[in-house]
Amino acid sequence: MCGALASLALPARADTPRVAAIDWAMLETAMALGIVPVAACELIRFRADAVTPDLPQSVVDLGLRSAPNFELLQLTRPTLILSSPWYGYIEPRLSAIAPVFSQTFYFADKDPWQKSIEALHGLAGQLGIPETANQVEAAALAELAQMRETLAPFRDRPVYITQIGDPRHFRAFGADSMFGAVLSLLGLTNAWDGSTEYSFAAPVPLERLAPKPDARIIAVSGIPAVAEQGLRNSVLWNRLEPVAQGRFATIGNINPFGGLPAGLRFARLLTNALTQGHAG
Amino acid sequence: MKIAILPLSFLLAVGLWLAAAQPWVTGGWPLPPFHAASLSFEHILLAYGHMPRGIIALLVGALLGLSGALLQIVLRNPIADPSTLGISAGAQLALVAVTVLAPEWLAWGRWPIAMFGAMAALAIVMGIGAARAFHPVTMVIAGMLVALFASSFAAALTLAQGQYLFSLVVWNGGSLVQTGWGPTLTLIAALFVGGIGAALLARPLSVLGLAAETARSLGLNVAWVRGLAVLLACGLAASVSATVGLVAFVGLAAPAIARALGARKPAQVLWMAPIAGALLLSVCDGLVLTIAGAGGEMFPTGAVTGLIGGPLLLWLLPRLRATPPPAHSDALPRRQRPALMLWVLAVFSIVLLAILVMVGRLPDGWALLDRESLALFLPNRLPRLIGAASAGGLLALSGAILQRLTANPLASPEVLGVSGGAAMGYAGLLFLTAAPTALQLTLGATVGGALALALITLCVLGRNARPERLLLAGVAVSSLAASVLSLLMAAGTMKSFAILAWLSGSASALTGTGAGALAALLIGLTIAALFLGRWLAILPLGPEVARALGIPVRLATVAMVLLAGLATGAATILVGPLSFVGLMAPHLARHLGFARATDHLLGSMLIGVLLMLAADFGARMASFPYDLPLGLFASLLGAPWLIRLLLRRPA
Repeated sequence: MCGALASLALPARADTPRVAAIDWAMLETAMALGIVPVAACELIRFRADAVTPDLPQSVVDLGLRSAPNFELLQLTRPTLILSSPWYGYIEPRLSAIAPVFSQTFYFADKDPWQKSIEALHGLAGQLGIPETANQVEAAALAELAQMRETLAPFRDRPVYITQIGDPRHFRAFGADSMFGAVLSLLGLTNAWDGSTEYSFAAPVPLERLAPKPDARIIAVSGIPAVAEQGLRNSVLWNRLEPVAQGRFATIGNINPFGGLPAGLRFARLLTNALTQGHAG
Repeated sequence: MKIAILPLSFLLAVGLWLAAAQPWVTGGWPLPPFHAASLSFEHILLAYGHMPRGIIALLVGALLGLSGALLQIVLRNPIADPSTLGISAGAQLALVAVTVLAPEWLAWGRWPIAMFGAMAALAIVMGIGAARAFHPVTMVIAGMLVALFASSFAAALTLAQGQYLFSLVVWNGGSLVQTGWGPTLTLIAALFVGGIGAALLARPLSVLGLAAETARSLGLNVAWVRGLAVLLACGLAASVSATVGLVAFVGLAAPAIARALGARKPAQVLWMAPIAGALLLSVCDGLVLTIAGAGGEMFPTGAVTGLIGGPLLLWLLPRLRATPPPAHSDALPRRQRPALMLWVLAVFSIVLLAILVMVGRLPDGWALLDRESLALFLPNRLPRLIGAASAGGLLALSGAILQRLTANPLASPEVLGVSGGAAMGYAGLLFLTAAPTALQLTLGATVGGALALALITLCVLGRNARPERLLLAGVAVSSLAASVLSLLMAAGTMKSFAILAWLSGSASALTGTGAGALAALLIGLTIAALFLGRWLAILPLGPEVARALGIPVRLATVAMVLLAGLATGAATILVGPLSFVGLMAPHLARHLGFARATDHLLGSMLIGVLLMLAADFGARMASFPYDLPLGLFASLLGAPWLIRLLLRRPA
């Protein structure tokens, strides 16, 4: 037992904060600041769904985000716990272990990109490295500006950002999502006017992609195996103008509710797909 | 004259459907045969989207109506239908399992998979029913339990893939959105086969209606007719599950409408129920289309029909035959010195608690905690253990009270509806206020649970109230809550996720104060229950006997229901809406020989404590460091064993 404790709990030095992340967006934000957490939640899924930033194997998996393993969390002896109001109901128990830093990324009528920048500065301030946050923000904005320029030829058409659920439905990302916010930073128009519609059973029928026939359609996370055959044979899907004219492309997995790195990852994957001509 | 409602609702359905088509008919209607290449996009939407949708709503409604009618006639049970008997849930579980574990099998077609799941669920429910003379309420409760287990198993499967948040919403209702004619043609074939089958079975079924003996003397093979009819009903429901998903309660409503319109003989019900079902679902889908067209939320039609179920069951309550369930067998052992055994259980609980406090798992193996780590862990571990144990005790106590009160071995807190009410209260507050505080939300859950409890109490207070009505009222409230929640999940907003987090992770939010309060409540309610023990021993003998012995029957019943409801509500906040502990523990206690009411209550309570401690350990260790939801783990552990127990024929 003592051995186990020792192996996990390295002597805490004052200058290196031992950060444990409950929230994924916060985990990404910490990584963006160059802080590798000692522990974080749901790493199996994070590595598959969020893909980047690349987490070293040394990060301890704390289990579920909504019900982290408190004993393991305690063993990692964090000096700061990163959470978000989504997990507000366990905050009393978290703060019994270490101080909690919690900030909203997704809230009604707020631009998630702005919120992620605010979280970046907030966290950097908490960790005493405000200058790093400025550098990270400047680098991100510079990269976005560059991509915005690259994507100038693609401003001719609006873009639907979707995630295909089954052969009849998809999830839609509106202006209130990270993808929507980044899309407008890239100078592109979101073809989806409504708000984000995201749940397990994809809520939006395919025909709702019809109102803007001149658009491009981007599907995040590829096409799931369940939908593949059905989509191939679907008359409606194949007659959607963007699909029929080859203005449809899939891009890799991204955490749809991530922080600044997720936003950048989306911008990069989108730029890649468009400039390589995958979406017409 | 009542029959005029059928053509009127047909006109309504067609009107709604036509109105929803307005945005696309500017260029007229496309006429079959359709050639996709030569149609404009508006016409594609009409020809391959809106037209098959209108027809599939009729088909699905007709199939479910026929399925429900067959089941109700064969089982002579006016509340039987594919959803109340767990058939649809079984089919849905099979489909979710294949989607998660072996998606490539889906290429072979969804119908065989759905049929397998539906048959498995039906076999279990029929098995439980067969041991209890197919008593209507008992059958429905068995079906509800199978459905609850199926949905928790589906959640566990999704959870095992790491899709944590989604694991709790896999149970969404079926959507009728279409993108081609394939599903429609399949269902036309299914309805054709089903119609011929029902036509052939109509006469034998009417003869069966007389009485099994008469039918036999008329040269009818009763078992064959029943078997074929049930199999046909199962196949019809499975074809719906396979093509559009879960469409709840249409099969329950359609035969009820048919009877309300004057259908009496089985043959009449068999041909009117499909028509009623088709029109009902069409009108529902028309309303969904209208709401969506007006810029409202897109709800899956299958989830909307779920809303019918609860009120309909309450309406059907007085129409149930007043048959008491088959009497309890007294062949179970009767312990001579129950006090000794109670002490053994109590000591064992404390020892188990002590052991579980000491043992832990770390990334590199198991460990017995030393003094230093114990001091470190205790503030985290002790509340959770005490909370779990108290919740188990409370649920078991509630289950024992309900089982004795209703003299129904399938009664349990899971079907009482209190937890469903609490969840609705929580969700309601979340959706009505902009930024509710934690205190407001807890209050919302409490009020919701109390309202459900009041509604159920009203049902027992009514004239000629029988305890089995209590169970059915509970089932009604539970199913209403389930469909409201699944509708909110289908909306897929940020608030949906907040509800999910509450439904799943509430155990991790437990503080020392909360655990202490739960333990205090357990002790208080146990003492109260023991004081009422005499009532509980006499009430099951019937109101006449009880009155003769000087017991205020109404007061006693209400007190018991309140006690059970309070215990359930408090425990639900920790373990979620189901766990089967409340159902299992009283049975185990009975098998251990606790026969007297007070012994039975105490024994059940202690066994509930033990079961939940074991479940808590399992939930924390099975997929370390991923904690599983406590209630989910408990039900996965308990359900197979419970089903085996219930399948045994009472002596």
